[in-house]
Amino acid sequence: MKSEIRTHHRWIFWLILISTLLAGCSGSAPKPETITVSGAFALYPLMTQWAEAYQQVNPAVRIDVTAGGAGKGISDTLAGAVDIGMVSRELSPEELNQGAFPVAVARDAVFGTLNAANPYLDQIMQKGFNQRLLAGIYITGEITTWGQVLGKPGVTDQIRVFTRSDSAGAAEMWALYIAGKKQSDLLGIGVNADPGILEAVIKDPLAIGYNNLNYVFDPQTQKPVNGVVIMSLDLNGSGAIEADEIFADKASAIQAVAEGRYPSPPARDLYLITKGSPGGAVKDFMIWILNDGQVYVETNGYIALNPEQLHEMRSRLDVQP
Amino acid sequence: MNVAAGWSKRVKSRAQTRKQRNRAAQRLFAGSAALIFLVFFAIVTMLVQRSLPLWQSVSPQQFITGRVWKPDQGLFGLLPFILGTFWTTGLGIAFALPLSLLSAVYLAEYARPLTRAVIKPVLDILAGIPSVIYGMWGVLVVVPAVQNIFAPSFSRAFPHAGLFQSGNPTGFSIISAGIVLALMIAPILIALMVEILLAVPAGLREASMAVGASRWETIKYVVLPKAASGLIAALILGTSRALGETMAVLMVVGNVATLPRSLFDPAYPIPALIANNYGEMMSIPLYDSAIMGAALFLLVIVLFFNILSSLVLRRMLK
Amino acid sequence: MNPKRGTRRRLAQFEEAFWLTLMRLALLSVVIVLGWILATLLLKGLPAINWELISQPPQGGYYLGGKGGILNALLGSIYLAGGGTLLGLIFSLPVVFYLATYLHHRSRQAALIRLMLDVLWGIPSIVYGVFGFLIMLSLGLRASLLAGIITLALLELPILIRGMDEFIRTTPEELVQSSLAVGATPLETTLKVVSRQTLPGLITAVLLAFGRGIGDAASVLFTAGYTDHIPTSLFEPAASLPLAVFFQLGTPFPAVQQRAYASALVLTIIILFISLLGRWLVSHFNKFLLR
Repeated sequence: MKSEIRTHHRWIFWLILISTLLAGCSGSAPKPETITVSGAFALYPLMTQWAEAYQQVNPAVRIDVTAGGAGKGISDTLAGAVDIGMVSRELSPEELNQGAFPVAVARDAVFGTLNAANPYLDQIMQKGFNQRLLAGIYITGEITTWGQVLGKPGVTDQIRVFTRSDSAGAAEMWALYIAGKKQSDLLGIGVNADPGILEAVIKDPLAIGYNNLNYVFDPQTQKPVNGVVIMSLDLNGSGAIEADEIFADKASAIQAVAEGRYPSPPARDLYLITKGSPGGAVKDFMIWILNDGQVYVETNGYIALNPEQLHEMRSRLDVQP
Repeated sequence: MNVAAGWSKRVKSRAQTRKQRNRAAQRLFAGSAALIFLVFFAIVTMLVQRSLPLWQSVSPQQFITGRVWKPDQGLFGLLPFILGTFWTTGLGIAFALPLSLLSAVYLAEYARPLTRAVIKPVLDILAGIPSVIYGMWGVLVVVPAVQNIFAPSFSRAFPHAGLFQSGNPTGFSIISAGIVLALMIAPILIALMVEILLAVPAGLREASMAVGASRWETIKYVVLPKAASGLIAALILGTSRALGETMAVLMVVGNVATLPRSLFDPAYPIPALIANNYGEMMSIPLYDSAIMGAALFLLVIVLFFNILSSLVLRRMLK
Repeated sequence: MNPKRGTRRRLAQFEEAFWLTLMRLALLSVVIVLGWILATLLLKGLPAINWELISQPPQGGYYLGGKGGILNALLGSIYLAGGGTLLGLIFSLPVVFYLATYLHHRSRQAALIRLMLDVLWGIPSIVYGVFGFLIMLSLGLRASLLAGIITLALLELPILIRGMDEFIRTTPEELVQSSLAVGATPLETTLKVVSRQTLPGLITAVLLAFGRGIGDAASVLFTAGYTDHIPTSLFEPAASLPLAVFFQLGTPFPAVQQRAYASALVLTIIILFISLLGRWLVSHFNKFLLR
C-alpha cells in the first residue's frame, strides 16, 4: 500500500508538469489577427461564406469558424474562448446579464407544414390554421383528429404531430407564436433536426410539422419540397384564408416576412454576439457583415434584415466600447 | 492480496537489478491503474459540481421520481427518462444477445477460417460507422416497418396485451430504438465474443473430442462453461455501451417525455436528453446543471448495473 | 447396437443440427441486416464520391452546395483518432499488464479497476466531451486538435484496457505461473510472456477503440471544434468526419446531404483499411501465440 501512495504523488507531479508545459505552449500559439467564431449550426454555412469573402479582402485576418450549437457559442463567447458567438434563438436574461452583446445579422422564419397527400388537404387549406387551433394540437392536446380541425366529427383520422427533439430556435419560435410558450411545452413526436422533421412529414399523410424557410422550399424550384405543403395561416385574423396567406413559392414567403405580414415570431432574427460591445478587428468584421456582407444573405437563402433594422444594428456597433 | 509480494520471496537469489527494475515497473503500472481511478473520480466530481445549482431548487428524490420535465417552469422530473433508458436498453440487449451469441459460437467453432477472415473486418467496419448512419437507416427502414407492419400486426395478434397496444401510430418508438440499438452493439458483442471463444485453449477441445464428445457437446460442456465469465463480461460491456448510446437512438425513439406503457410508445432516454439540449442550453446555469444532474444519474445507473452484474458473476464463479 | 444408445445418439445429432441451424440463421440475419446498412450507405454515398471531395478542403459556400471537399475532416479525423488511440494505448498497456501479472485474477483491487472501466465505458461520449471541454479550459487551451486527442484518449481508454484484459484473462494461467516458477520476475513475465500473448487481443482492442474514436461526434464537437482549415499544429481546431456527416445531413440541400453519405463512406473505407491491416498483423503474430 505504501508504494501506491508514493505513486500517487508521482502521478500528480507528472500531471502538473505536463499541464504547465501545455499551458506554456498554448500561450504562444494564437496568431495575430485571428478571429474565432463558434455557435449555432443554423448560421455556420453563411458564416463560412462571410469568412472566406472577408479574408479575400483582408488577407491579414484569419477567421476560424466552428459550429457546436447556440449555447456553446454563447458560453464560449462569455468565457472568452472565442471572439464571436453565432446564435439562432432569442437570448435569455441570464445570458444578457453576463454581458452578451447581440447584433442581428440576418433573419429566418418558421413555417407550418402538412403532407401533400393529406386526404383532406383542400378543405384544410381552405379553412386554414390559426393560433387557437395550433395550440389545441401542439400545446393542450385537445385536438387530436383532422375532423376536429375541420369541424367534421365524422372524420376520425388522427393527427400525427411532429416536433423538434433537439433544442432549436425554430421550435422556440413555433411555441412562442402558438401560445407564448417554450419548446418544452410542445407536444408531438420529437424528431432530430430540420431535415428529420421534414422527412417525417413527407412520409406520413396525416402529419403536421414545422420547418425553417430554407428547408421547406426546394432550392432549385423555389417551390415547397416535393410531398410537403405549407399550411395556410389566418395571419390577419379575418376568419378566412386569402390568397396572400398561402405560400406557394419562396419569393412570396420572403416577401411576407420582409413586409411584416408574416409575424415575428415565427419569423426571427439570427444574431452574432460578442462579450461587451466589440472593438478592433472583430468590430471591423461585424461592420463589414452588416454592409458588404449582406449581399451573401439572400443568395444563400436567408432573409435579409429590413433597412431600418440594418440601420439600427449599424448604429449599435458604432457606439464606442 | 498482492501476489507479487509473495513471489518476490522466491526470486530472492536473483540479481538485485532485476528486482529493482521489477519494482519500478510495478510502481509505474500501479500508477497507471491509479490514473483510471483519477479519471473516474474527476468525471464524478465534475458532474456533481456542475449539477450543484440544481439541488438548491430540487431535491434528489423529486428529481428521480418527478414525472414532468419543464425546465422553464422549474420542473425537473427525470422518471420518464429513466424508464426510457431502461426500456430501450433492455430491448436492445434482448434482441442483440441471442443473435450475437449464436453468431459468435458459429464463427468461432464451426465457420471456415475464410468465413471468419471475411466477416471480422466487416464487423470492425460496422463497429466504426458513425451512429448517425445507423440512425438514418433506422428512420429509413425500421421506423416505417414498425409503423406499417409490426405495430398493426402485433396489436391484432395480442389485442389484450397492453405491451403491444399503442395510440402512437408513427413508428418512432421504443421498439424501433431497441432494434437499432441491437444492430449497433451486435458487431461489438460478436467481435468480443468470438475473440473470447477462440481463446479457450485448443487442448480442452481436443481432449473432449478425444473421449467421443461431438462438437456441439464439446461446445456445450467445455467451451461455453470455460468462456462463460468472459462472455458475460462482454455482455456487460455491451449493455454499458447501450446505456450510453445517443445519436442513433435519439433519431428513432420519438423523444416524448411521458411514461411509456407499450413497446410502440415513444420514449426519451437520458443520453438523448443530454444530446438534444446540451449544446444549445449550456449557457443557462440551471438548464446546464439539470442536464449534468441527468448525466450524473445515468452514471449511477451504469455503476449500479455493473456492481450488480459483477456480484452475479462472482457468485457464478463460486 | 443398444437401441437406447442409438436414440440418444440420434437425439444428440438432432440437437446439434437444431442449434447449428439456429446459429446459421442468427449469423445470416445479422449479416443480411448489417449488409443492408452498408448497402444503403454505398448506394447513397457512392454517387457523390469523387477526387475533389477527398482532395480539397471546403470552399466558401460548400455547405450550400458550393465547391470543395472534406479533406479537412478526413485529415482531422485521422489525426484525432490516431492520436487518441496512440495516447490511450500508452496509458492502457501498463494497466493491462498490471491486471495480468501483478494482481491475482480475482483480487478485489482488480475487480475494482474493472468496475471503474466498465462504468467509464458506459458514460455517453457527450459527457466525455463536456469533461474534455473543462480540462481544456483549465489547461488554458482553446478548442484544438490536442484537446480532441486527449478527450478521445479518455474515451478509448476503457475500450482498450477491457478489450485486451478480457482477452488476456482467457490465456492459460499456468503460463504465467510457470514463467514465475522458473524464476522470472513479474516484469519479465509481463514483457516476455504476457505481452506476446496480448498481441492479437491488443489489435482487436485497438481496432474497436479506433473505430469508436473515429466514429464519435459528440466528444470532439466540444473539444476539437470544427473548422474548414486543415490543422497545422496541435493547438489549432480540427474538423472530423462524423461531424462532417452530421453537418451535411443537417443542411437543406440534397446535394450536400448526399455528400454526407459520401463522407460516411470515406470514414468506412478508412476503418476497412485499418481493419484489414490489423487482421493481417494478427495472423502474422498469431504464429507466436502459446495456448
